[in-house]
Amino acid sequence: MSAASRTRHRRTDRGAVLGLPRRTPTSKSPNILAGLGSVIWLALVAVPLYYLVLTSLRGEDNYLSQGALAWSGLTLGNYGDALRLGFLGYALNSIVVTGATILLVLGLALPAAYAIVRGESRAVRIAFQVILLGLAIPAQAVIVPVYLIITRLNLYDSLVAIILPTAAFSLPIAIIVLTSTLRDVPKELYESMTVDGAGTATIFARLVLPLARPGVITVGIFAGIGAWNGFLFPLVLTQSEELRVLPLGLSTFQSQYTTNVPGLMAAVVLSALPIFALYLFGRRQLLSGLTAGFGK
Amino acid sequence: MIGSTLERRPARRADSSAPRRPGRAGRTDRPGILWAAPALLFFGVFALFPIVLVAWLSLTEWSGLGDPVFVGLDNWLALPQDPEAPGAVWSTVRLTVLCWAVQTPLALLLGVWAAGQQRNRAVLSALFFLPLLLSTAAIALLGHSMFDPNFGLAEVVGPLVGVPDGNFLGNSDLALYMVIGVLTWQFVPFHALIYQAAARQIPRMLYEAAAIDGAGRFRRFLSITLPQLRHTIVASSVLILVGSLTYFETVLLLTGGGPGTASRVLPLHMYIQGFRAFEMGDASVLAVLLVAVGTLLSVLVVRVTGYSRMTSEREGL
Amino acid sequence: MRSSPRRPVLGALAVVSMLGLVAACGSGGASSEIQLWGLQDDLLNESTEQIVASYNENAETPVNYSYYVNDPYKERLQVALGSPQGPDVWLNWGGGNLSQFVEAGQVTDLTPMLEQEPELRDAFLPSVMEVGTVDGSVYALPMVGTQPVLLYFNQEVFDEAGVEPPQTYDDLLELVDVFTERDITPIVLPGQQAWTEMFWLAYLTERIGGPDVFQAVIDGEEGAWRDPAMIEAMERCQELVEAGAFGTSYASVTYDGGAATELLTSGEAAMFLMGTWEYGSQLASAPEFVESSLGWTTFPMVEDGEGDPQALVGNPSNYFSITANSEHVDASFEFLAETLTSDAYLDSLLELGQVPPVVGIEDRLAASPGADHATWVYDLVDNASSYTQVWDQAMTPAQAEVLLTNIQRLFLNEITPDEFAAAMEQAS
Repeated sequence: MSAASRTRHRRTDRGAVLGLPRRTPTSKSPNILAGLGSVIWLALVAVPLYYLVLTSLRGEDNYLSQGALAWSGLTLGNYGDALRLGFLGYALNSIVVTGATILLVLGLALPAAYAIVRGESRAVRIAFQVILLGLAIPAQAVIVPVYLIITRLNLYDSLVAIILPTAAFSLPIAIIVLTSTLRDVPKELYESMTVDGAGTATIFARLVLPLARPGVITVGIFAGIGAWNGFLFPLVLTQSEELRVLPLGLSTFQSQYTTNVPGLMAAVVLSALPIFALYLFGRRQLLSGLTAGFGK
Repeated sequence: MIGSTLERRPARRADSSAPRRPGRAGRTDRPGILWAAPALLFFGVFALFPIVLVAWLSLTEWSGLGDPVFVGLDNWLALPQDPEAPGAVWSTVRLTVLCWAVQTPLALLLGVWAAGQQRNRAVLSALFFLPLLLSTAAIALLGHSMFDPNFGLAEVVGPLVGVPDGNFLGNSDLALYMVIGVLTWQFVPFHALIYQAAARQIPRMLYEAAAIDGAGRFRRFLSITLPQLRHTIVASSVLILVGSLTYFETVLLLTGGGPGTASRVLPLHMYIQGFRAFEMGDASVLAVLLVAVGTLLSVLVVRVTGYSRMTSEREGL
Repeated sequence: MRSSPRRPVLGALAVVSMLGLVAACGSGGASSEIQLWGLQDDLLNESTEQIVASYNENAETPVNYSYYVNDPYKERLQVALGSPQGPDVWLNWGGGNLSQFVEAGQVTDLTPMLEQEPELRDAFLPSVMEVGTVDGSVYALPMVGTQPVLLYFNQEVFDEAGVEPPQTYDDLLELVDVFTERDITPIVLPGQQAWTEMFWLAYLTERIGGPDVFQAVIDGEEGAWRDPAMIEAMERCQELVEAGAFGTSYASVTYDGGAATELLTSGEAAMFLMGTWEYGSQLASAPEFVESSLGWTTFPMVEDGEGDPQALVGNPSNYFSITANSEHVDASFEFLAETLTSDAYLDSLLELGQVPPVVGIEDRLAASPGADHATWVYDLVDNASSYTQVWDQAMTPAQAEVLLTNIQRLFLNEITPDEFAAAMEQAS
């Protein structure tokens, strides 16, 4: 599914590039009902976001005394507060977890996808089936045994404890996406390299890695967003304040520094900024990364 | 897979069956299982092995420290005596069904609408997808703050919708619906995105032919768009169903499962049993149930979407 | 890249074989050190680490301090105390939690040693010391500030309405009407967090039936949850809800976000039943309000109730106890004797705004931040006839979960007192 949607998305864009006729001949009269519906949905989406941004800009006193949505006493001070009260530490932890997860997922999924696409042994095929089955495992349902394994590995309360299971649960989709990318590589390319005497390692390094790039970007974004937003594993597998990642840090933000809802909202806005930047500058890649999570 | 590529076609591998390749034994261009082994082992340890482990843990008494002690079926036999379990199951069923019933039509309509090529639609849909940028925790915390009866939006909006005291999250009759509302806000954009992509693949000719036949807009939606999107609808639905079965972060941060246990869904109940009451055995029983139902639903995913018959983009054309 | 993931894999294979064999990996074992176990608390750890470090400078048997998060800690103790990996000195909450261990013969009776050190024996406030005492013998010494639950109120709101803080439960009911008429929430109750509701039930039970009623629960006595005083306390909780004492949206209010604190400060609510840490929050967020109109008093008495109006509910303190079979009983006791009442330790607690339950510190309290409040709390605890621990802390985590869930239901009027009692009986 994920691969399909990614595929579709790409194909659509390709259509745009080719300049296919865009306007359906039948949609000349404006669709009033749909227009109305979309405006309502727009309001439903916009109001909470407006509330979020506005509250994050309001002074704490103003927030407490003037009621919701008051457009006065605006300040950037909450952002300063959020940064001072631990946000940077949480963000740093999140960056480490996200980066390590991306590397781990790609490092494991790329060779696996290569083996699945080019391998001929039955074992590889079975392996692929097993990993596909794993798509169905909800992380929530295995949190107790994962906790047991992590404590027994003496990894409890470390960033590694978050990274390992997070990466593991990103693997099936990563492999599916990469497999589908590599299947697009014409057989002839592999064969010509073999004729030139290249072994599997050489083919992997010279052919697979460069050609897998679109898939690698999609997987990187998908795994990265999963790690960046992950809440369950950090919640259960760490306890120290120094090891809090952003989502967990946000959730404890309010209990630690009471009475600062605007500060919390500022931290929420800050936590979304990296992904927002991606949305602005790499919308296509971001959306394909997001929908790679379709299987989740 | 979604849409037209879902069609079952013989997997490419069928015609490249290895042993019949002529006498090139010892060739090294074919990567063996070793290339997949690290991923497989890693995945096995942190995803597959835990499934086995959770089943075993459901037969033990374990507080999270020390060693699990085997107690046979005690935890399973105690399940009917768990006073919160029936309520948690019922909340989960309601959450799952309602999430599906609310999100599917919304996402479908939005996705099809956003698939149109008009300029205003492109601009608006860029806004529609904004909730995708926030994490589950961030959205739940935003919701919690909005529904604060004294300082949040609930104070302003409550009186307009018949809740004058803004008591949304603390009302047993409303709490679960608030959770569903927040989940809808979070996930409709995602599913709309999927529908948008799928709707853009519907051959334009179909609409043109229908228009010539004089079919109205509504008619075209019913007889062309819906049937063409059926695979997407099924796939997205199953994902909503499986997703609703396991979401608990939102509930934890929004209502804590309350008031009382009004919004305590099964995964949250499992979390509370495991990591608040430290009855890991009881929590594992619930986890096994979740895995069982999740697997059932996802076998459906595999069957409906033909995951195992991955076809490349090229072949899909 | 490809080889790195193999290490956890191998480790996990080892896990399979280790399951059922390995004991909790405690930090114990080194017999030349006193193993000291405490709780994770960012502020307090610093003071504890400091005193440990300064004690170790001259000590024959140095102290090794390790700390854990709250809930798993209780369980960890239960396992560790019986094993060689266990601590020599460990933090506990006194009361029911401690008496379990005492009954199991795992705790050193400090009474004879305290006889040798009368100064230390008499150093702590009696009501707090009482919680570390089981059957007349002392098993635990207080190691942090005391935090009773008090009725805080907004003096300005009371003045405007021309009323006085409640002395009795009936006063309280009258005040509910007075404030409701003035469109003020009589009592702020952050009911999204059930432990705030638990304070009401605990205090009403205490005032109606005295401390023995809850003690019976902890002792596991048959029918303890159906004690008439307990049932009446639940009925009164529901009566307060019905009367509108907590307004209508209390179940949506949280304590953690600071909303409840703000409602009292802003005068939207008149009273707030909360632990003394609330004073610290108010001092941090609204110092002018604390100065001008934050008032506090004891929980009102109930007419014909058996409870003493001076009896308290709250966190009496946290305690240190010594393991019965420790190799270092004497050295451990020496460590406690030297540190718990040392000037350096008390100063570090006072700086954190805590009220150490130690006698003869009135002068130092008077010089501490928030001296009025600290002195008042100190006198109150000094004169308290009994000091009941907050209920959820006195129970196992599993029971506490059931308690909190059902208290919330009780306050939502979803269950009757009888059903509450039945639910609690099933959980114990």
